[in-house]
Amino acid sequence: MVFNLLRRYCLFASLSLFLLPGITLAHGGVVEEDDLCVINIGYLKAHFKIYVPQQTGHDEYCEDIPIRGESVFVMEYQHDGLSEAEIDFRIIRNVTGKSTFARLEDIRAIDDIDAITIHYTAPTVVPDVFTLLQSFDEDGEYIGIVSAARTDTGKVYTAVFPFEVGYIGVGIWPWIIAGLLLLQLNYFFMSRRRTKGAAIAAAVIVLSTLPTGNVTADEKSWASSAGYFRVQYASDLEPIAINKIHSWVLHIESADGKAVTGAKISIDGGMPEHDHGLPTVPRVIEELGSGRYRIAGIRFHMGGYWELRISIDSGSHRDDVLITLEL
Amino acid sequence: MAATNKSRRRWLILIAATILLATVWYSWQRFRNPPPWSDEERNLIASLWIENLQPLPPDATNAVADDPRAQALGHRLFFDVRLSGNGMISCSTCHQPIRHFSDGLPKGVALGISKRNTPSIVGSAYSPWLYWDGRKDSPWSQALSPLEDPNEHGSDRLKILSVIASDAAYRRAYESLFGAPPDLSRQQDIDRAFANVGKAIAAYERLLKHGTSRFDEYVVHIEAGGDSLNQNIFSINEIKGLRLFIGEARCTECHNGPLFSNNEFHNTGLLSIAGETPDRGRIDGVRTLLADPFNCFGEFSDDPTRACSELRFARMGAELIGATRTPSLRNLVNTAPFQSKGQFQTLLEVLQHYNRAPLAMIGHNEAKALGLSNWELRNLAAFLHTLAAPIAADQHWLQPPPID
Repeated sequence: MVFNLLRRYCLFASLSLFLLPGITLAHGGVVEEDDLCVINIGYLKAHFKIYVPQQTGHDEYCEDIPIRGESVFVMEYQHDGLSEAEIDFRIIRNVTGKSTFARLEDIRAIDDIDAITIHYTAPTVVPDVFTLLQSFDEDGEYIGIVSAARTDTGKVYTAVFPFEVGYIGVGIWPWIIAGLLLLQLNYFFMSRRRTKGAAIAAAVIVLSTLPTGNVTADEKSWASSAGYFRVQYASDLEPIAINKIHSWVLHIESADGKAVTGAKISIDGGMPEHDHGLPTVPRVIEELGSGRYRIAGIRFHMGGYWELRISIDSGSHRDDVLITLEL
Repeated sequence: MAATNKSRRRWLILIAATILLATVWYSWQRFRNPPPWSDEERNLIASLWIENLQPLPPDATNAVADDPRAQALGHRLFFDVRLSGNGMISCSTCHQPIRHFSDGLPKGVALGISKRNTPSIVGSAYSPWLYWDGRKDSPWSQALSPLEDPNEHGSDRLKILSVIASDAAYRRAYESLFGAPPDLSRQQDIDRAFANVGKAIAAYERLLKHGTSRFDEYVVHIEAGGDSLNQNIFSINEIKGLRLFIGEARCTECHNGPLFSNNEFHNTGLLSIAGETPDRGRIDGVRTLLADPFNCFGEFSDDPTRACSELRFARMGAELIGATRTPSLRNLVNTAPFQSKGQFQTLLEVLQHYNRAPLAMIGHNEAKALGLSNWELRNLAAFLHTLAAPIAADQHWLQPPPID
């Protein structure tokens, strides 16, 4: 036990030592934040990664690419602004002589940028995620330049990130660091798995004590989280089966048993154990009077534990009801 | 004295050997004979049975969907090479009856190379969404796209309508179904007649349904109270594969129901193929679909109510990045290579991919690593082979119509 703790401490200490200079080496616009490779295009952020799928499969690189070949650059937007911005992406040979310290000023100082450009994607609006394909035939130093022009304000934001392709001559230390990191990661994941397992077990216990939705037209009434409303539902599909689009009639009462009319209702939900939402966007299509509302477009596409969150705004109160079902 | 000692030792060895053999035998039996199905497992197995498939619901957007005249017209159109830019490509070039209406290639090859793997048409009328990215919401609307795709048929709607006008049998069939021929000076008439061509092809495609597989025979056997182990329909490995399929391997989360598909869109962390960026999947498919004049909301749909119970509630959002449609697993052994870009040649490769569940290149891989052994993956593959079945359609629909 003591040995274990000691080993852990030594690992941590050695790692921190090696990681410190690593942070200062962050290349321009691309940085590692909480284990995630991030590109900062002005205030617009995206998860950044590079693959060489045909050679190294699912291995992700943050900026330096260890191997020549067909690379896929991916920017997964963390900011909606990027979905609407015009993005252009340029890759040039690094002729600035400043290696990894090249900045936008150095690039602006280049006379004929087209002569050293090896990739250019003209400004386009690409929603959700940006990808591009570029083959590198030569090892060497390159610079990526990404600009995002907001179509509403017309402002342009730019990120510059120098990177290397091929053998990166830094000696044996990175390997040792990588080895230690692996050990540490392994340790981290082992301990995390344990706690995750415990968390799942706890969740299962909690869930098994939760009332599960009765799938026949149920008389059960579900209380909203702050207690303002009580909700019953009846499904036009009985019993509720997977893969069938159907509708429900909700009956909403206030805490003192009065029908709630004219409420604004929205529906969301999903399978928390699978990290996914509903396959459809159900919504109220008709208010039937005396606190009853028809919700159409409900479909469940897997067996298992589902949650449906009904948000109710009656004008005087706003509250959520969580309906759970086991299909 | 020495002799007694020797014989006693011999006895001891004999007893030890017997115990060892018995243990080995017992473990072998345990290994050979999996336990009988629990009630829950039986229900899950029955939910996959082809007999539990609902009758094909009517397609309100296609007034001729179940009209025998449209089926016959669609049958001819499906095999007609005149509906192509070079006079050599028909729907059956890629959707080959002999290959379960797919083509055995990673991606379709016609005039050029298609964007994705050719899916089988069999049973497709059951799906609310068509194409791997779900960019179509009806079989008739789907049938229009390849005709004008430069890499596929490479024709266009005007040329296709002129083929119909120039063929007496086509003209008769068209007019009896849809009335007067289109006024080719009016774009709306052209588009409507083009949609009608798709509706006839879809009427034919609706006839192609999945037949009874060995798996279905096994379900009949155990539903009738037969011994789940001692029978000559399923081998021990196939039974083990089925148990994994409905249990530990979590396949039925998406491949559920009698067609082994929830017809939904999932990101499963596939690698992009050489020369391409990762497939964006449904996130683009749903946008294309909403902008498509031939969708369920469009003026060429025959449903006056425009109920569109699926399209109306279609979801957008980040979950759809890199998500492709769950394909049916029925007959998949006849539809290799697998996945939307034909990434995998063998079932075992597919299963190994799901077993690892790597992080997705774009979006979020919904699958979780399974941690199954190679033996278990082989059993799963053995089970998947039992889903092969002949197509449940009259033989004459499976070959080109006789020329009259």
